[in-house]
Amino acid sequence: MKPTKESELNLSGATRYLDDLPATEGMLYGVPLTSPCARGLLRGIDASAALALDASVSVLTASDIPGENQLGEAVSDESLLVDGEWSYLGQCLALALAATPSLARKAAALVRIVYDELEAVTDARAAAESGSFILPSRTMRSGDPASAFSRCAIVVEGRVESGGQEHVYLEAQGAIAESLEGGRVRVVSGTQAPSGVQRAIARTLGLGMHDVEVEARRLGGAFGGKEDQAAQWAALAALGAARTGKTVKVYLNRREDMNWTGKRHPYSSDYKLGLDAEGRILAYEADYYQNSGACCDLSPAILSRTLFHAASAYRIPNLRVTGRMCRTNLPPFTAFRGFGAPQGVFVIECALDAAAREGGWDPVELRLKNLLAEGDSFHFGQPVADCRARRTVDRTLELSRWTELRAEIDSFNSAHRLVKRGAAILPICFGVSFTKLVMNQGGALVHVYGDGSVSVSTGAVEMGQQVARKIQVIAARSLGIPEGLVRVESTRTASVANTYSTAASTGSDINGMAALAACEEIRGRLLGLAARMLGADKGELRIESGFVTKGCEITELAWKELVDKAHLDRIDLSAHGFYATPGLFYDMKAERGSPFAYHVYGCSAVTATLDALRGTYRFDEAFIVHDVGESIDYDVDLGQVEGAFAQGLGWAALEDLRYDERGRLLSDTLSTYKLPDLRFMPSAVKIEFLEGAPNPKAVMRSKAIGEPPLLYGIAGYFAILDALRAVDRTHPTKAPSSAPYAYDLPMTPEKALDFIQGVRR
Amino acid sequence: MQKNEAASSRERGIRIRVNGQWRDFALGDDLSASTTLAYLLRERLGFTGLKVSCDEGACGACTVLEDGAAVLSCMVLAVEADGHDIQTIEGLPADDPVVEAFAEQSEPGFGTALQCGYCTPGFVMTARALLNANPSPTLAEVKEALGGNICRCGCYAGIARAVLNASAKIAARKAGAAAPGGRA
Repeated sequence: MKPTKESELNLSGATRYLDDLPATEGMLYGVPLTSPCARGLLRGIDASAALALDASVSVLTASDIPGENQLGEAVSDESLLVDGEWSYLGQCLALALAATPSLARKAAALVRIVYDELEAVTDARAAAESGSFILPSRTMRSGDPASAFSRCAIVVEGRVESGGQEHVYLEAQGAIAESLEGGRVRVVSGTQAPSGVQRAIARTLGLGMHDVEVEARRLGGAFGGKEDQAAQWAALAALGAARTGKTVKVYLNRREDMNWTGKRHPYSSDYKLGLDAEGRILAYEADYYQNSGACCDLSPAILSRTLFHAASAYRIPNLRVTGRMCRTNLPPFTAFRGFGAPQGVFVIECALDAAAREGGWDPVELRLKNLLAEGDSFHFGQPVADCRARRTVDRTLELSRWTELRAEIDSFNSAHRLVKRGAAILPICFGVSFTKLVMNQGGALVHVYGDGSVSVSTGAVEMGQQVARKIQVIAARSLGIPEGLVRVESTRTASVANTYSTAASTGSDINGMAALAACEEIRGRLLGLAARMLGADKGELRIESGFVTKGCEITELAWKELVDKAHLDRIDLSAHGFYATPGLFYDMKAERGSPFAYHVYGCSAVTATLDALRGTYRFDEAFIVHDVGESIDYDVDLGQVEGAFAQGLGWAALEDLRYDERGRLLSDTLSTYKLPDLRFMPSAVKIEFLEGAPNPKAVMRSKAIGEPPLLYGIAGYFAILDALRAVDRTHPTKAPSSAPYAYDLPMTPEKALDFIQGVRR
Repeated sequence: MQKNEAASSRERGIRIRVNGQWRDFALGDDLSASTTLAYLLRERLGFTGLKVSCDEGACGACTVLEDGAAVLSCMVLAVEADGHDIQTIEGLPADDPVVEAFAEQSEPGFGTALQCGYCTPGFVMTARALLNANPSPTLAEVKEALGGNICRCGCYAGIARAVLNASAKIAARKAGAAAPGGRA
């Protein structure tokens, strides 16, 4: 009866990810032929050489799509296979199918196309200048920033760049589609959004959603990259299956995946921040130029989160922030853990950094003075409730011995010329809920089998974040049975319908609540039966550790016996649960409302040591105090904080995503795109959860965990900058720049060296 | 006659010992000169524990043991492994100290040693090779040895801790075996 723990399967090599599923008889492999330049007009496709390669080869083009050749949901700007103009390098033009992956790759390479190359734009500001946007710009305001600036003692202005980020989910994108009788298809997809994939396949194949079944098995990482962008690979596989009647597998290799799929949006932003003589923020303005890439994808939702997090954890009475979705000829940028918030938070932190230097204020004092508190309101009108900003910052200062640490670093820096240390503090405040209201719903289906074992299906996809583990704990606690009796199933559209992506950190909040509702329903039925069996009042009965309890006393009635009796009495042992996050509303016209169920708070302190000759550095220590509510599983939540921090630190200081001017990705392998490894991480990462901080707004008083801690990594950027400022730069080796310091993330060693040599100020 | 044919086919083939069992592969049908060890293990033998993720030796997910040392199986040609002893994660016993330590890893402040699990077989095999060569490494040596493995979920603290705990298990088992009445 004891189910095998998922980790034990991983450790015996038995877990079957998509590419580990055995090939079936007659399976075909699909490899897309993609566009050779960033923008072009397709004039013709000649597949004759490919078809001559092998009898198993076939080549599908746009004209083979039986339904609508469209994947875009918010904006119809994303065809499945190009018919006419393409808008980025790596866009799918045709699909080659063959009996082996290598034959399919050879066939795709043999397809000849006739095309005209068109002029492309890759820079967000250049796109904005030519009026190339995905949707109109969006602005949020509060107070009257224009008049508030005139009252400011200090006003700082400048520019902030932040780079994109490749997901590098270790399992690449892919899908396997099986053709069923009657034109139906069954698909295993590496997706965070099985219902979204189902919808995309039904649309492109011209089928009803009931003709398409999608399953997401355990994913080898996703991080947002498989939220919207898993659909095209699944739709291509399904197209292949529909046209050939065979099972078709599409599975990208690393280079294909890096070249063809979207990443975190690069942003270029302008800020203006005004403060009074005491360092209180009076006014803030920011303009964000989001490089959205060639298609809409999730860009509007990502931009909205940037705007919602523009003020981060600070009180700003007068504010105007505007975001622009700039359409460029790069692969559509997409969801990545943090979803636009990191980009917005980085800008306000840069503005505060500039203000601290201009006003001569201590950076920590300045932040403390402006930290959000109970009674404040966010700039979109939602009241700040159950605010834990000050508690987490104070505890971080204690945990890091900040005052002593600062003094140690300063004295180290006066004693050393070629090695410098630096440190930075970063508070966070992250809103939880999808900002698109409709997405805040989820379902669950719970079966109790005759032997007492339990199966739980929800809309949540397990991708390493251990949402399955949390749902197992929730179900077991609700039913009062050992966790080992509960199995959480893979995610299937036929079990739980109309779900939304497992994203926005809401996986366990929404799906855990839905599972809880279903379990409570079944528990209620079983306790009614137990009351009749024991001649007791239902209200005084509970189920604990697999036995019915009455008051404080454990009865003889065991779970298995109760379930057995329920079945004999023809009591339904299955239940569907549903949850829609209550209390959410937002007026898009007024840009006012309460879009978030609650906020997550926390603070990080990071220290770094810099080699002042080479520009290289290492992170020494990190201290994180995080508001997790009441943790459902300590190990899971700790791992989420650590992992998100690692990705944030990678984004801030290491991961250098580069395209050339013609839209070709230069960092398209793991040998050219460096990401955090064991040696990159700080020698000591001390993570503490805020104590005594239950959250009445989420399942089992917990808080969402996935994304907020990614923001902690931004402290790494400022820790290095702090060390750089301690370097004696009175003898620059290159001609010094007269431009003001432009914040530019990631802080790579090259940029640090430029700073040291006086090229950057 | 038959014997001669068999001998000549052996000349055009390779033998690799995989997880304790010798396997013969003929050039042509089973493999070509450019077949990688990773492909052979995954696609021909079904040992799908190892993962091909970056396919260029930069992520460590395909790590297996060759004669006890870690090799990146996506960077080794199958023919180069001729005559060698290969071990994949499927070949490690459940009570292998590294497997046990990764499974048990749960410690305040360090967390688990795996999240999505995709990199796990590679980390386990790299750690196994390190402990084969150096049963009691320092934390710095662990970081150096495992520096070529990527865990994108980022549970590095738990991984490093698990390797040190595996090292302690090896020492404890040795001590237990050496002590009178100790278990072998």
